[in-house]
Amino acid sequence: MTKLNKLPAPTYGWLGVNYAERELSDNKAELVSVSEGSLVKADITSDARYELSAQENKELTVIMYISDEDKRVDVSAKAESGSKLTVVQVFDKGARTAAQLTADIADSAELRLIQLYIGGADTVSEINPVLSGYSSSFKADIGYLLEGEDKLDINLIADHKGRKSISEINVSGVLADTSDKTFKGTIDFKNGASGAKGAEKEDVLLLSEKVRNKTVPLILCAEEDVEGSHGASIGRINEEHIFYMQSRGIPEDKIYELTARSKTDRIIKLIGDEETVSRINKTLGRSDDDE
Amino acid sequence: MKEKTQVSDIDRSLYDFRYEEDERDYLGSGITPEIIKEISEEKNDPEWMREFRLRSLEIYNKTPMVDWGPSIEELDVDNIVTYIRQKSRMNTDWDDVPDDIKNTFERLGIPQAERESLAGVGAQYDSELVYHNVRKEVAESGVVYTDLESAMHDEKYADIIKEHFMKLVPPTDHKFAALHGAVWSGGSFVYVPAGVHLDIPLQSYFRLNAKGAGQFEHTLIILEENSYLHFIEGCSAPKYYEAGLHAGCVELFVGKGASLRYSTIENWSKNMFNLNTKRAIVSEGGKIEWVSGSFGSHVSYLYPMSILNGKGARAEFTGITFAGEGQNLDTGAKIVHNAPDTSSYMNTKSISKSGGISTFRSSVTVNEKAVGSKSSVSCESLMLDGISRSDTIPAMDIRTDKCDIGHEAKIGRISDEAVFYLMSRGLSEEEAKAMIVRGFADNVSKELPLEYAVEMNNLIGLEMKGSIG
Repeated sequence: MTKLNKLPAPTYGWLGVNYAERELSDNKAELVSVSEGSLVKADITSDARYELSAQENKELTVIMYISDEDKRVDVSAKAESGSKLTVVQVFDKGARTAAQLTADIADSAELRLIQLYIGGADTVSEINPVLSGYSSSFKADIGYLLEGEDKLDINLIADHKGRKSISEINVSGVLADTSDKTFKGTIDFKNGASGAKGAEKEDVLLLSEKVRNKTVPLILCAEEDVEGSHGASIGRINEEHIFYMQSRGIPEDKIYELTARSKTDRIIKLIGDEETVSRINKTLGRSDDDE
Repeated sequence: MKEKTQVSDIDRSLYDFRYEEDERDYLGSGITPEIIKEISEEKNDPEWMREFRLRSLEIYNKTPMVDWGPSIEELDVDNIVTYIRQKSRMNTDWDDVPDDIKNTFERLGIPQAERESLAGVGAQYDSELVYHNVRKEVAESGVVYTDLESAMHDEKYADIIKEHFMKLVPPTDHKFAALHGAVWSGGSFVYVPAGVHLDIPLQSYFRLNAKGAGQFEHTLIILEENSYLHFIEGCSAPKYYEAGLHAGCVELFVGKGASLRYSTIENWSKNMFNLNTKRAIVSEGGKIEWVSGSFGSHVSYLYPMSILNGKGARAEFTGITFAGEGQNLDTGAKIVHNAPDTSSYMNTKSISKSGGISTFRSSVTVNEKAVGSKSSVSCESLMLDGISRSDTIPAMDIRTDKCDIGHEAKIGRISDEAVFYLMSRGLSEEEAKAMIVRGFADNVSKELPLEYAVEMNNLIGLEMKGSIG
């Protein structure tokens, strides 16, 4: 068993959040380098290794649709100074994946990450952007929709090294049936990252009494001149919201369906690419015209 | 050259005095079956306790050190003196306490506090309680406040002690709980009968005077139905170069509809390793309130745990931690929601300065049965310079959908905008910054008993120098 998704500052062992253990084989896929073209799409059905590079002052968008069982997806990304790199990763239903995304973000560069986990039978995903440049930025929007016995473990570590670097992490999702999710999000302000700002938020909607949700939002700080915050909200839809919706004639089961849907729709809208959105809708059993 | 606003370290001169110990009073250092048997013999333990100690030692030897949190490599447990013989029997008359011990507590203001504002006082010096007293009218209401060992030997309470001792914090909990089970000595036993409401607090004060020694007191409090108690615990030690160890244990049983407020001001010296374990179990409609100030010690691991075991049980935790030079204070709280409609609220502040490390660590667990439960956690950290460190490590483990869990945390420095606003209202920059730091700690300090709040304000003294940058 290999220890993955290690929490950068371990905590009480009995919580079972310090690492995730999985049997893992070597990723023997050939390395694919992507550095040109404004939009690149990849359909990943087996082990994959990618090296992404957004060149100085250029923009690059890479969309990865990850499906089928048992695979490793390793992505190493670099956003050169002044560039904008957008990485979209969709983890399709039933995808058992060990994914890793590391990134180095240079001066005034931006890494935009959009991830959607639809199911994810047993997925372990590690994301580690290093904001090494002055005024570098990282913005992540992550959504998940888990049901059945789906299991998901995400470990996001945003390392702030550059002065005035900015990170913003928004996570939202829905857990149904006996699904089990762990989200560990760390904002790590290294000494010297003066003027840096980091904010992290997770919003979890629970739809079954048998779900298991673990949320571990860390702020590690070795620099005085920073601003960091995190927030989490976990539970059902609040009663006032239900009352309001019912007063508008919407039945309770529909309220839950709509609210759950809004969590994933927020992410889907950010993806933008029609082909990818259409594929997601198909997986979710929706028509492209559904509103 | 501009100078930055300086927030001074805690003034420890009040606590840094000591009296020489007669080393013949020490049992040998280290943790061996022989030492444990000797402690047990010294205390005339009942057979079950002697066996308990030896079993705890076995668990201690098998249990690995924690693999998270601040380093405790500097702590050589084999060189810690675990027990120091009593110089005098336990007294109920202050005049009978030996002079050096009496002087120690006089200087810390304990007898004065007893006269003025407490219903009872216990004072432990090194390994043993030296004084325990409770007001006549309090004793007449049926409240028992005595040292744990006397209670264990009193046939009225012996069974209660056996039934409750280390049931909430079993020796298997962690390595230092096992150590505590093996070498514990001293501590208080409090029993509040059903319906009794103690309007004024009880206080135990723990003083570790000996060099290179450990203190392992055990506090056991039982509140019956619909009773109320405010219990205050104070700890201090003079500074030595040798590491000292505090591995106490607090077990609180809060009955149906009862309410317990447990306030602690921990001001161990900066050579101390404070590896204390505190736990409360709360029955239906009961409430536990923790108020915790952590200012001293070299390394602290301190996370009072509340187990909400009855419907509608509540827990509140209010804490402040101030980590200065040479300190690594890992503090926080743990809450377990185990029954329907339980609620918890955690509010903490931490300040780091002069290279100090402050870590807020928490866990909120909501089990399957805890439907309708609510929890809210709020923690704020203030960094006062660029050589210190402040970490926030909360965790939430939620196993039911019918709950409402919220968490928020903030970290930062003194806001320039707030300083600017206060200056526009006529304050100098120094006054503005001082006011902001005091305000930062205010909602915690106002929860402290008055004398401790005043002490805390003195502890967080402000020195403003020159122009600020």
